[in-house]
Amino acid sequence: MSDDHAFAELIRDYIAECLPLAEAVSDAFLRLERRWRDGDTHADDATGLKGTLHTLKGNSAMMGLAPMQLVAHLLEDLSARVLADPAARNETTAALLVEGSSLLVDLVQSAADPAAHAGAADEYAARVRLHLGATLGATAAPLRLERRNSERRDAGADARGTIRVDFRRLDTMLEIFGEAMIERSALLEVHRRLAARYGNGSEIADLDRVVSSLGATMKQLETALMQTRLLPIATVFGRFGRAVRDLARDEQKQVRLVTEGDETLLDKTILDRLGEPLVHLLSNAIVHGVEPEAERVAAGKPAEATVWLRATALADRVEITVTDDGRGLDCERILAKAQALGLDVPSTDSDAVHALIFVPGFSTADRVSHVAGRGVGLEAAAAAIHALGGGIEVGSERGRGTTFALSLPLTLAIVRSLIVEVDRERYAVPLSHVAETVRLEAGTLHEINRRGVAMWRGSAIHVADGGQLLGTGATRTAPRNYFVVLFAGPRRRGVLVDRLVGHQDVVVKGLDPTLGRPAVVSGATILGDGRVACILDAAGIVALREVA
Amino acid sequence: MPRSANLPAAAGAPSMFEFADQVAAGDAAAAAPAPVRQLHLITFRLDGEEFGLPVETVREVIRVGDITRVPQAPPHIRGVTNLRGRILPVVEIRTRLGLAPLVPRSTARIIVAEVRGRVLGLLVDSVAQVQKLPADRLVPAPDEIKSAHTTYLTGVIHLNDRLIILLDLALALDLPGASPS
Amino acid sequence: MSHATPRPGTFLVVDDSALHHQMYRLIFAKGPLAGSTVYHAMNGREGYALLAAHPELTLVLLDLNMPQMNGLELLTRRQAEGLHPHVPVVLVTTESTPEDEARGRAAGAWDYLRKPFQPSDVERLVARLQAERAPAA
Repeated sequence: MSDDHAFAELIRDYIAECLPLAEAVSDAFLRLERRWRDGDTHADDATGLKGTLHTLKGNSAMMGLAPMQLVAHLLEDLSARVLADPAARNETTAALLVEGSSLLVDLVQSAADPAAHAGAADEYAARVRLHLGATLGATAAPLRLERRNSERRDAGADARGTIRVDFRRLDTMLEIFGEAMIERSALLEVHRRLAARYGNGSEIADLDRVVSSLGATMKQLETALMQTRLLPIATVFGRFGRAVRDLARDEQKQVRLVTEGDETLLDKTILDRLGEPLVHLLSNAIVHGVEPEAERVAAGKPAEATVWLRATALADRVEITVTDDGRGLDCERILAKAQALGLDVPSTDSDAVHALIFVPGFSTADRVSHVAGRGVGLEAAAAAIHALGGGIEVGSERGRGTTFALSLPLTLAIVRSLIVEVDRERYAVPLSHVAETVRLEAGTLHEINRRGVAMWRGSAIHVADGGQLLGTGATRTAPRNYFVVLFAGPRRRGVLVDRLVGHQDVVVKGLDPTLGRPAVVSGATILGDGRVACILDAAGIVALREVA
Repeated sequence: MPRSANLPAAAGAPSMFEFADQVAAGDAAAAAPAPVRQLHLITFRLDGEEFGLPVETVREVIRVGDITRVPQAPPHIRGVTNLRGRILPVVEIRTRLGLAPLVPRSTARIIVAEVRGRVLGLLVDSVAQVQKLPADRLVPAPDEIKSAHTTYLTGVIHLNDRLIILLDLALALDLPGASPS
Repeated sequence: MSHATPRPGTFLVVDDSALHHQMYRLIFAKGPLAGSTVYHAMNGREGYALLAAHPELTLVLLDLNMPQMNGLELLTRRQAEGLHPHVPVVLVTTESTPEDEARGRAAGAWDYLRKPFQPSDVERLVARLQAERAPAA
């Protein structure tokens, strides 16, 4: 064991157990605050939270984590007061509950770092005590909390018969499955050779049946494995309630967040990277999309704006939309800005103009907000979504609102790919980034300013030679046979290759850090013949400025 | 480490954290290695020269199979190879030491080594043997061998008529890929 | 006041918190209790089944507050069915009034352990138990 091993293990367990609880409490208090604001001041939620707060307090105490223990205790006190005394169900108390539970989330999350949020708990405690003292003249007898046999955890995970598994084990299982896929391919190859040599004897036919059946079983196993890695998108959506509330307050706007499709399932590898782009989009909606209250009211809209976050599961992907009922995109301003920046404007139809907002450096904002920045968020969000193998589009109606539509693959771990060959080297190209493969005819390629260009579907796209792009070092003898049109977002680039070998599901393995960070390669995989093939990074390739 | 000054603890009794620390410290003390008096090395050849690596860094030695080139990888990386489903980077240790790249012959091998938490393959001309050598025979590298590479040649051992050059792998691989004069 | 040293034994921990199980693992893996055999149950039903399967248990550490079947219910059921009455059970709880404690003991709890507890609290408990149950010297 290294020095901090035992400690790190315990802290990990503490965070794994207490963070979901703290977040559930935070969500509940947010909902409670909103209900009180709407005039509905019953406080039943607080009853259900008592058990959770109690657990949080107890676990924190066991670990010697005094700040968390203190905040949980204060929240218990506040909840007790709220239950006992209707007069306490006001805005100030609600704000304290929201603030405290949010602080608790932060504290639990950074439990491994004692320096984080130093003093915040004590400062919060002082204010709570003041508030509790002020609203109650005399000291009241502490409420005895009836302990029931009811669900102590809002998540109720154990009741459903679920177990907690370290995600690394699921990754290991997937790796082993990948090896099995390779073995199966090798088996297919041997079968093929046997069939060629011995014809169709009955044993060959038997072998054929077994190999087919094995293939079907492995497909089922793959599906089952991928299922274990799926988590509901609620784990990401759940964090946004507070962010929206804070951001709205900073902007002096009233905004509420409505989520739909919380139970939609996504692979953990994608979920982990989805939070950031979504935060950018939400910030954008609140800062730039939603008008100031006065403007909304003057336009006949409700003073409080709404942002919808919806997830829908489809057969091979998940769609997420972020919609606001704000002012919508202003095509004229966008066009003007684009022209001022000297950007290419492919057409003036609204979709094309709207898509300009994702172009790097573009922003029609006049001021910088600490989160939304200068529209850097949109560019970053788009890049993040593309890196996940997904797509993002925007639709808008002036005066009515804006919708960002994200389309995401179900998983990053296994990617359907096109295997291509360049100068005897094989590479995997994720099909999600392949627009088309085109057989090269004479006259398709031209050179403009010493860069290859081809006409494709009515537009000119840059074409790079695969051998030069990938540095194969071979001297070109014959012309290449195909070009593969890669795309990432609105950008496209063609790559010249010698052969299209076929389609294959590949298990993606990240690049070892020893290999540096090549721009054109995003990972590696093992093909059916046991050789390693690099996976091309389409987003990286289309973004390259100069390809000799 | 957070300590709960406010919480009452039984006098002298450790809190859960302190207990965990003690557990960890106890394990570390038990595992402290005894002083080494012999160097346990695996020796290999590059261009006729014989080198040695501490055997603890070596996981296994494999034959050279297909090595896939990785575009835009650092210059001394020959590529990657499939090690039972693991994608293993293969380092061309020859170019790292300023020699020409290997033209693989049947004796060539890949030494799978673990250094600073990373697992890498080292492409070498041939692997000799694993042997124990007396540590007191280790002397600093002589001037003929010294060049830009002194920092990771930690010494040499004369054994009969053999000269074995000891390599500090971590240092050797961290050097920037500048070509020697 | 010094306490006798506890000896390793066979233990059953019933608690719905993975964090607590991790802590118990540490407690029973080192110090005077090292070498103990520990069974872990995540809920009352599992706990009951493990108790039934192991009459040789030195001690059961039973969390009071668990969903479905809580500690008190497990004790009550054990009492009604006469399952291994010789195995001592300690109820682990955050707070309890004298009335709660009386109820627990009436249902067959040997003692109570208050949370938050330190490793030494568990060691002391086991030592006291072993001293009480030791045959006369």
